[in-house]
Amino acid sequence: MSSVVSPIRQPLVKGGKTYHQITEDICSPTERMPSTQWFIAFAVSIAFLGVFAFSVFWTVYWGIGSWNLNRTIGWSWDITNFVWWVGIGHAGTLISAILLLFRQKWRTGVNRAAEAMTIFAVICAGQYPLIHVGRIWLVFFIFPYPNTRGPLWVNFNSPLLWDVFAISTYLTVSLLFWYTGLVPDFATLRDRSKGIRRRIYNGLSFGWTGSAKHWQRWEALSLILAGLATPLVLSVHTIVSFDFATSVIPGWHTTIFPPYFVAGAIFSGFAMVQTLMIITRKVLKLQDYITLEHIESMNKVILVTGTIVGVAYLTELFIAWYSGYIYEQFAFYNRVLGPFYWSYIGMMTCNVLSPQIFWWKKMRRNIFVTFIMSLFVNVGMWFERFVIIATTLARDYLPSSWSYYTPTWVEIGLFVGTLGLFFTLFLLFTRVAPVVAIAEVKSILKTSGDQYSHEEH
Amino acid sequence: MKNNNKEVWIGHNDLNSPELQEMAKQEFANNIPVVDTMADEQVMESSTNRRDFLKYLGFGLGAATVAASCEIPVKRAIPYVVKPDEIVPGVATYYASSFVKGGDYTSILVKTREGRPIKIEGNSLSPVTHGGTTARAQAAVLDLYNVNRLQNPTKDWAEMDTEIKDALASANNIRIITNTNMSPTAQKAMGEFLAAYPKAQVVTYDAVSASGMLEANEVSFGLPTIPNYHFDKADNIISFGADFLGTWISAGEYAHGYAKNRKVDPKAENPTMSHHTQVESYMSLTGSNADNRIMVRPSEQGAAIKAFYNALVGNNMGSELNEKASNALKALADKVKGANGKTLVVSGSNNVAEQVVVNAINEYLGSYGSTITFDRTSNQRQGLDKPMAKLVSDLKGGKVDAVFVMDANPAYDLPEAADFAEAMAKVKTSVFISTVPNETGALCKYVAPAPHFLEAWGDVEPKAGMYSIIQPTIAPLFNTRQAEESLLVWADSSNLNAEADQPYFEYLKANWEANMFPKQNNFLSFQTFWDKTLHDGVFTAPVAASNVRNAADVNTYLAQIAKPGQGEEIVLFETVAMGAGQYAENPWLQELPDPVTRTTWGNYFGIPITWEGGNSMVTYQNLNQEEYKGKADVVEVSVNGKAQDITCIASFGLAANTFSAALGFGRMEVGFAGKGVGTNSMAWLSRDNDGNVQYFNILDAEPKPTGEIDYEFPCVQYHHTFGITGQEDGKEINVDEKTLMAIGEGFQGGLTERSIIYQANLNEVNDLKAKIAEKREFAKHLNDATLYPYEEYQEKFYSQGHHWGMAIDLNACIGCGACQVACVAENNVPVVGKTEVSRHHEMTWLRIDRYFFGDHENPNTVYQPMMCQHCDNAPCENVCPVGATNHSSEGLNQMTYNRCIGTRYCANNCPFKVRRLNWYDYTTADLFGGNEVYVNGEEIPFGADNLTRMVLNPDVTVRSRGVIEKCSFCVQRIQEGKLTAKKEGRSLREGDIKPACQTACVTGAITFGDFNNENGALAKALDSELNYLVLEETNVQSSVHYSAKIINRDEAIS
Repeated sequence: MSSVVSPIRQPLVKGGKTYHQITEDICSPTERMPSTQWFIAFAVSIAFLGVFAFSVFWTVYWGIGSWNLNRTIGWSWDITNFVWWVGIGHAGTLISAILLLFRQKWRTGVNRAAEAMTIFAVICAGQYPLIHVGRIWLVFFIFPYPNTRGPLWVNFNSPLLWDVFAISTYLTVSLLFWYTGLVPDFATLRDRSKGIRRRIYNGLSFGWTGSAKHWQRWEALSLILAGLATPLVLSVHTIVSFDFATSVIPGWHTTIFPPYFVAGAIFSGFAMVQTLMIITRKVLKLQDYITLEHIESMNKVILVTGTIVGVAYLTELFIAWYSGYIYEQFAFYNRVLGPFYWSYIGMMTCNVLSPQIFWWKKMRRNIFVTFIMSLFVNVGMWFERFVIIATTLARDYLPSSWSYYTPTWVEIGLFVGTLGLFFTLFLLFTRVAPVVAIAEVKSILKTSGDQYSHEEH
Repeated sequence: MKNNNKEVWIGHNDLNSPELQEMAKQEFANNIPVVDTMADEQVMESSTNRRDFLKYLGFGLGAATVAASCEIPVKRAIPYVVKPDEIVPGVATYYASSFVKGGDYTSILVKTREGRPIKIEGNSLSPVTHGGTTARAQAAVLDLYNVNRLQNPTKDWAEMDTEIKDALASANNIRIITNTNMSPTAQKAMGEFLAAYPKAQVVTYDAVSASGMLEANEVSFGLPTIPNYHFDKADNIISFGADFLGTWISAGEYAHGYAKNRKVDPKAENPTMSHHTQVESYMSLTGSNADNRIMVRPSEQGAAIKAFYNALVGNNMGSELNEKASNALKALADKVKGANGKTLVVSGSNNVAEQVVVNAINEYLGSYGSTITFDRTSNQRQGLDKPMAKLVSDLKGGKVDAVFVMDANPAYDLPEAADFAEAMAKVKTSVFISTVPNETGALCKYVAPAPHFLEAWGDVEPKAGMYSIIQPTIAPLFNTRQAEESLLVWADSSNLNAEADQPYFEYLKANWEANMFPKQNNFLSFQTFWDKTLHDGVFTAPVAASNVRNAADVNTYLAQIAKPGQGEEIVLFETVAMGAGQYAENPWLQELPDPVTRTTWGNYFGIPITWEGGNSMVTYQNLNQEEYKGKADVVEVSVNGKAQDITCIASFGLAANTFSAALGFGRMEVGFAGKGVGTNSMAWLSRDNDGNVQYFNILDAEPKPTGEIDYEFPCVQYHHTFGITGQEDGKEINVDEKTLMAIGEGFQGGLTERSIIYQANLNEVNDLKAKIAEKREFAKHLNDATLYPYEEYQEKFYSQGHHWGMAIDLNACIGCGACQVACVAENNVPVVGKTEVSRHHEMTWLRIDRYFFGDHENPNTVYQPMMCQHCDNAPCENVCPVGATNHSSEGLNQMTYNRCIGTRYCANNCPFKVRRLNWYDYTTADLFGGNEVYVNGEEIPFGADNLTRMVLNPDVTVRSRGVIEKCSFCVQRIQEGKLTAKKEGRSLREGDIKPACQTACVTGAITFGDFNNENGALAKALDSELNYLVLEETNVQSSVHYSAKIINRDEAIS
C-alpha cells in the first residue's frame, strides 16, 4: 500500500485516533452491557422472528394453500423475497472482495458489517427455497447425493438446481471470508478479556499471536478468498436471474436479466448497508470510523447502479417494442399499465427517479436523506422483483388463465419474519464481534487518518 | 375416526358389522398366548429354555417396534375363497346399462373394478346416444357412493308395508307424484298398483317441463308426444329458446346429430355446414354455439315466433317485437323460405299457442317427414304442468289422503313449492320413494329407500321402440328396495314373486318375455334374446312409420300469443350441470364450471353488459370488476313479491332489460354438496293462462345493490373475450384489447394476434387457411433458429414405436363439459369446493376455455378444451430441479408424483397453465390429520370417508398435498391398451386406446392416436389446413392439435 495519499482525499478515520483508541472504540460495545435501545430492538426482532416461526409452522401444517398463490401465479412473495434477500447480500461481497482487489481503502470502515449483512441476508434468502416447496419434508431431493433410487440424480438442466449450488457456494465463501477477517480481531478481544470469555475468543481466534508469519498468511488467504468471491458477485445473481431468463414466459425470457440483476443486487445491497451503518455508527458511536466519506462513496455506488438499473428498465421496454413479438410487447405493456401498475410505479419511483438526487453532493453527504433513500431503494428493489415475478405470471399466454394476486397474512408474516431473523442475527453480531475491522482500519490509519493526512497542510 | 377411515373394507356389509370393526381395531387376528406361556411355571424347567428366551426376545422386540410405530393403521385385504369367474383382480369388467334420472337418459357401459363401479362410459351400440355421454351421466357414478343416501326405511320393511297397505285400503284419494318415467316395466307395475287401488291417480310432472309442447302436439297432431328431431338432416336450424345442446329433452342425442353437420370438410373447395340461429334472451350453451343469435326479451319469445311465422307466410309482421329482432327474423325467413324440408325449427317455449305456431312453421317449411318425424317419438318429457297445479290445490283443500312421491321433489321445484309443503301436512299417509333425501322426502311420513340405478334392475324406452336395459353392477350398498317392487308389494301383485332372490328382476324378465321378445325375429329363444340384450344394453324394435297431419287452426293460436310485457324481466333457466336441482348432490357437477359463465358452486344473477366506449368498462376482462379478486356484489332481487339476495355477474348475450338466474340451486334438504349453494329461484317462476310453468317473470323492482360483497366468487376464468369488436370513431376496434389495462388503453392486436384461437366465417375459410399457413410458417421460421432442430430430434426419438398425440376440432366442441367430468372420474381429480375455486385453486386437468369474439353486444363463442399439450420440447421438464416431470419414449409428458417436491416452477413455465398443485390436503392423504379442507360443510372431509373413496380409480395414484399434477393422456389406458394387444400377440389397432375425454365426447371433437400411424384417425384429422398448434412459436412442440373454429354467420340476420 502506498503511503502517499493525495491531500485532496478526505480522511477515512477521524478524531486523531491512536491505535489504542481504535481498539477501545471498536471493542468496547462488545464488552459493556447492551444499551436499552439494543434491548428494545432485540425484543422487536425476536418478536418478528416468532412471527416467522409461526408462519412457517402454518405453511408446513396446512400447505402452500395458506398462501394466495394459484394455478396461474405459482410464485409471488416467496421468490420475490428470496431474490430480494440474495440481492441485498451482494454489497457485502462487493465491498470485501472487489474493493479489496481494487485497493479501495474506504472499504475498511464498512466491510465487516457489510459481510455480516451478506451472510445474514443469504440465510434469510435461503429460507424461501425451502419453505416455498409443497413438500418440505422431501426437500433433500434437491441435493445430488448418492441414493438407492436407481441412483436417481437431480436435474442438472434446472436453474433451480443451479440456484442451490450458487447460493450454497456463496454462503460458504462469504462465511469463510468474513471469518478470516474476524480472526485477528477476535484475538484482540481475547487479549482484552478474562475467564470464559477469554477462552471462547481464544478458540475463535485459532491461537492467533500476531506474528509476521500469521499476518502474511492472513493477507494471502484474504486475497485468495477475494479472488474466489469476486466472480461470485457476478455469478450468483446471474444464476438467480436464470430462474427467469431461461423460462418461456414473456417478461421472464430476456437476455438482459443477468447484468440487470447483478446491478440491481449491488444497488439494493448498498442501500441495505447504508440503512444498517447509519444506525450502527450512531448507536455504537463509530462516526469516526464510518464517516461521511464512506457514506458518500456508497451513495455514489447507489447512484451508478440505480442508473444502470434504470437503463435496463428502459432497454427492456425498447426491446419489447423492437422485437415485434406480440407476447413480449403485451407482457411489458401489461407490466407498466396492467392491474399491477402500482408496483411498476413504485419500482420506477424508488429505483430510478429518487436516486437521482445523489447527483448533488449536498444530498450525498446528508445522513437523513441517505437514510430515507436507502429505505426507498430497498422498497423499490422489492417492487422490482414483485413486478418481474407476479405481474408476469398473472397474465401470460392464455387469457383464460389470467389471474390476480394478493398476499395472505401468512406470506406477509414470512416476509416480516425474515426481517426479524435478519435483525436478530445482526443485533447479536454487534454484541459478539467488532463491527468494524480493527486490524484493517489500523492498517490505513497512517495514510488516511485525519491527523496524518492533513497535518502537513 | 381417522383410523377407522383408513381400513380397507370389501363390501358394504362390513360397514355395519360390529365384529369386523372390532377385529379391525385389534393388533392380531387371534390372541397370542404370550402372557399365558410366560406365567407357566413349567417354562422355567422346560428343556428348550434358551430358544424360547430368544423367541420371546425377538417377539418382544418386534412387538415393541410395532407398538412404537403407533400410526400404522391395520388394513385388511381378504382374498376370494371362491373367485367369481367374471372378476380378475386388476382387470376391469364392463356392463351395459342405462343412466336415467327423470327424463334424462344415456345408454352407458359401467366400468367395474373388483366389483365396484368406478366409471361410466358411453354405449356406442345405442341408436339414441351413439356412445356419447353427458356431464350428468358421467357424474352419476359418484352418486352411488353418496354418503347422504337413504340407507334404511323408516320402519322395518314388513311393518311399513303393512301400515302402508292398511292406509291405502282406507284411502279415498291416492296420488302418485312422479317425474317422467320412461320404463315400460315400471309403467306396468304402476298399472298394477292403479288396478289394485282404483282411487289412485298418477300425476307426472317435470321441474323443467315440455308440457306446452306435449299439449300443442296433441292440438296439432292428436299425439301428446315429442317427435323425433333430426338435427343432422337440417341445413337451417332455428331454435326459439330451446337449449337443445345443453339441457333440452335429449340434449346428448341432439348434440350428436347437430355436430355431424357442423364439421367442416377442410378439403372442400366451398365447404358447407348447417346454419344455426338461436332466438333467445340469455346466452345458453346452444345459443353460444349458434351462428346467429337474435336477442329477445323472454316475454317477446311468443311475439318472435309469431313474427317469424308472419314473415314466412308473407303476413304483416306487426310491431310487437323489438325492431332489431324483427328485421333479423325477416332476413332469416327470407333465407329459409325456399329450402323445403331442410329446415328444423324447435322451441323451448312452454306455451301451447306458441308451440302450435312453431308446428305450423315447421309444416310450412316442410320439416315433417324430413327433419322431424313421428316414427321414434321421444318419451323423455312426459310431465304435464296443469294436473300438478291442480294437485297442489287439491292438497290444500285437504282432498287427498295418501301421497306417494317417486323420486320427485315438488316441495322444491314447483313454483308453488311453499304451498305444496304446507299442504302436505294435511295428508294422512305420505310415502317417499327415492335414493336420496330431498325437501319433499322430509315432509313424508314413510321413507322407502330405493337403490341407485347402478344397483338396480330396470328398463327404459327413451324413444318409441328403442329399449335400453338397466342392470345392477354392484350388490345394493344399503337396505333398499326398488320403487317398482315396493309398488307391486303394496298392490299385492300376483305377478311378483316376493320369495325370489331378486323379485323385480324376475318381474322385469317376465315382462320382456311377454312384450319385447315377440317384437323381434332374430332370436328364437327368449334366453338368447335376453342375454344379447343384456350384453348390448339396448334393443331396438321396429315401429310403424306414422303419418300425421297438422289439424290445428294456426290463426286461433296466433291470436292467443301474449303480447310482450313491459319493464325488466328475468329469465330462469336450467344449467348443464345442475338441471332443476336434481343433481345438486353431486360435488363433481357443482364444481363443473358453467360452460357459458364459467362459474361454479352456485347460481348468479346475470346483468346485461353494454359497451360504454370508455376505458372505465373493464367488463370484457373482468365481469364484475372484482371478479379477479374472487369478489362479487350482492343485489336484492324481487320477483312475485319474493325478494332474495343474490350474487350478480355481468353476462354477455343478455337481451336488453333482461336479467337471468339459473334454476336448481339453493336447495336445503340435500347432501352437503348442494346444501345452501346458490339461491333458490324456483319461487320466481310463473304460470301462463293454461297453467303451464313459464321460465321467466317480470321483476317487481329494479335490482338494487345491497352493499354486501360475496368474497367467494368461484369463477374459473376472468378474462372472457378474444377479439370482441365495437365501434369507436366509426372504426371497428377490439374492445377487449382496448379495455385490458388499468391505466390508459391496451394496444390493438395484443390478444387477437396470439396463436391461440383461429376462427373465421364460412365464406372466409380460404383466407383463414392462408392465415394459418402464414402464421405456422412464421412459427417454424422462429423455431428453426436453433442448434437442436426439432425434426432431427423427432426422427431420432419418436420415429420408431409410438408417438402419442391428439386432435381437437373446435368446430365440433360444444363446450358441454362431459369430458371434464369424465376426466375427474377417471383420474381421481379432487374436488376443492367453492372457497378454493374462488382462489383459483381448482384442480381440473382438462378445462374448457370459453372466449367470446365478434360483436360485443351479441358475440359468438369458441370453446377450447385445454389440457396438458404433452410438448416434445416441454418447458416444464427442464426446469424441475428434481426431475419429477420427464418425457417418455412415446412422447408423453409424465409426472412422477413420488419425486415431486412442489416447487411449482413447472407450473410457472407452462405456457398453457395446465399444471395443478395440490395446495391443500384435498385427497385427505396427508401424513398428519386435521388439516383437510372441507368442500361445503360436510361432516367428514369429502373423499375421506370410505364410501366415497370407493369411486377412486385404482389405476391412478391419489396425489398428496404439495404435489403437482396434470393430464397424463390417460396413461393408464395407454398401458392397458398396449398390454391387451401384447397379450393377444398383435400390434395396436385404431381405437384400442381412447382417453376418458374422447370416450365421453358426444360430438367426436377429440381424437387421440399415434402420430406414427399413417392410416389412423389422428392422421386423418391432422390432414387439414385448418389445423394448428396453440402457441406454436414458443417452440414447445406440443402434441395437441386444434382445428380452427368456423362459424356460418349471416350478417343479415344479426
